[in-house]
Amino acid sequence: MTKEFDDKLDRTAQQLATEISPERDLWPGIAEAIAAPKRSRWTPMLAQAAAVVLLVGASSAVTYIATKDSSGPVVSVAPELVFEQAAFGGNYHLGPGFQDARNSLRDDLDIELARLSDAAREDVQANLELIHQAIIEINKALEQEPDNVLLQQKLLQAYREELTLLRRVGGLTRDVMRRNDI
Amino acid sequence: MAALLTAAGSDYSWEMVSAPLTTVANEDAWIRRAQRSDARAFEALYRLHVGKVYGLCLRMTGNVSEAEDCTQEAFIQAWNKMMKFRGDSAFSTWLHRIAVNTVLGRIRKSKREQDRVQAVNDVYTTRLDTGDSGELRDLAEAVDRLPERARHVFVLHAVYGYSHDEAAAMLGIATGTSKAQLHRARRLLAQQLEGQGFEA
Repeated sequence: MTKEFDDKLDRTAQQLATEISPERDLWPGIAEAIAAPKRSRWTPMLAQAAAVVLLVGASSAVTYIATKDSSGPVVSVAPELVFEQAAFGGNYHLGPGFQDARNSLRDDLDIELARLSDAAREDVQANLELIHQAIIEINKALEQEPDNVLLQQKLLQAYREELTLLRRVGGLTRDVMRRNDI
Repeated sequence: MAALLTAAGSDYSWEMVSAPLTTVANEDAWIRRAQRSDARAFEALYRLHVGKVYGLCLRMTGNVSEAEDCTQEAFIQAWNKMMKFRGDSAFSTWLHRIAVNTVLGRIRKSKREQDRVQAVNDVYTTRLDTGDSGELRDLAEAVDRLPERARHVFVLHAVYGYSHDEAAAMLGIATGTSKAQLHRARRLLAQQLEGQGFEA
């Protein structure tokens, strides 16, 4: 193998066709795959869930204002954050393991937040507020449709996210929330 | 002249058009439409790029049916990832990366099913026709016989012109490994080709 050989090899390699047409049209298989139920299957379900949430969204604010004074344990931990009583629609309740972990974490939240930088604190508060809003909306929707599995899953996910965020803030690593807690 | 799907407003029609002007003018619009889940715009992108993607898959796999499957899979992946295309690189380069990942993914999978795949290949392997002739055909066939890694590096670097850094990133290997594999590929090609009158 010489430099001359390498040079010729490179020159010849550069002449090899880089665009080659397949012998058959591959598009029908692709078209079938991208139109498969995977995308469309979830769209009606999500649309249905979104519609339910939107439907109750307007009334949820009024309901929230009307009931917040008598809704039991509402703990204010920071000017921007209000923790709702954890609930899972009208027919389900979050178990004591989750409640204890949540209570413990939120009790320490103000102290932990004070240790964060302003920017980080604002991020945490904004994220918690977002999750709380989602929890409120989904809970209200569940009151209308208590057996809606998608909404139940979304609510469980929101509680998990809240717990994860609280754990991160508190630096705790215990895994205390399980499906059985509901 | 090439048959391409052209977009005019929201209407599409098959026309015989001059490829370079049409592709440059319409590709961005097709990409934006495909990002909004417009399958017809994505088909236009497919028609525009299928030759490049299939060519790469064919050079890398050396097998027609594998290359067809890889091409289809690569475009399906591209459809699913359209929203992630930000235009940081050319759309064709982005597609090439997806195609390389698809080829590598299929190879990893096929290694787990090696016996079955080998049995199928023994029966159904189709001789690849890349349109090359003479010395080019000799080289193409010699490249096809290279070991996998050496073949991949040679195809990306020597045939498609990617730098060692780019080829290494696509293949998930170190730049030094890419250089070493290219050296290995050249040595093996020399052994194959010098006996066939392929001389400097």
